[in-house]
Amino acid sequence: MTRPLNIFPGEPPNKPPIVFERRWPSRIDKKQEILDEVVDLLINSGWVIADDRAWLYLCFDEIVVNAMLHGNEGDPRLEIELTVRLSDDRWVVTVSDQGEGFEESHIPDHEDPQALMLEHGRGIRIMQEWLDELIYYRGGSFAWLARARADRPQT
Amino acid sequence: MACDFLMVQRYDNIVLAKVMKERLLDPPSISSLAEALNAECDRTARISLVIDMSDVGYLSSAMIGKLVAVHKAAKLGKGRVAIAGLKAPLLAMFKVTQLDKLFEFAADAEQIIQLYRRKPL
Repeated sequence: MTRPLNIFPGEPPNKPPIVFERRWPSRIDKKQEILDEVVDLLINSGWVIADDRAWLYLCFDEIVVNAMLHGNEGDPRLEIELTVRLSDDRWVVTVSDQGEGFEESHIPDHEDPQALMLEHGRGIRIMQEWLDELIYYRGGSFAWLARARADRPQT
Repeated sequence: MACDFLMVQRYDNIVLAKVMKERLLDPPSISSLAEALNAECDRTARISLVIDMSDVGYLSSAMIGKLVAVHKAAKLGKGRVAIAGLKAPLLAMFKVTQLDKLFEFAADAEQIIQLYRRKPL
């Protein structure tokens, strides 16, 4: 069942603490470099298991492309900012752009049979499947992706 | 546009298209693969297209969307499309978005080719 998408107008929480922070211009040819750097960080640190690498690539590709092409409208003068935050039990990746955000009504409902043949709009549903949290702040221009750390102590 | 990582073998109207690339993430690769697959659908009426994705480790939702377009092109010519060899996480991504209702999936290409030979269109 599709989970509702949370899009809040306000600012995101300022914790957990940031352990990685970078800015890039909105250049799609830079995307692979960004993805490789962040995916390698999460897996090499043990926060995500290597078997989940495909999920990471899909999630970060989706979120970075949306920020560059939709949020910043492909303007290379505008930057996206990516952070990795870490607590004892989860990691959080945030990606923000300089755009106006978006409305949930623009996202197709993939439970609707009419949407089956659409060629776009599946990314959010797929991300929701794997992530524990997918939340948007600042009206949609700040994406918050979180999942339990693979190396957290088992209770 | 030629797709330099797609190997196509044709057996009458059964077309095996093997994708020889690990990452389907960058827009040029996605576009060239989609164009090549669509061209196969345009070329062959009642196509039984088997896309072998056993070499693919990573793909984007944009690539999944392009495969939906390939399915549409095949259906237009009264054909069908199967995807073979998808790794478990990638198969899960298709199922999450209900695309298992659209495509046939098989563990390997040979399995689905045999099925298509037994049940021609």
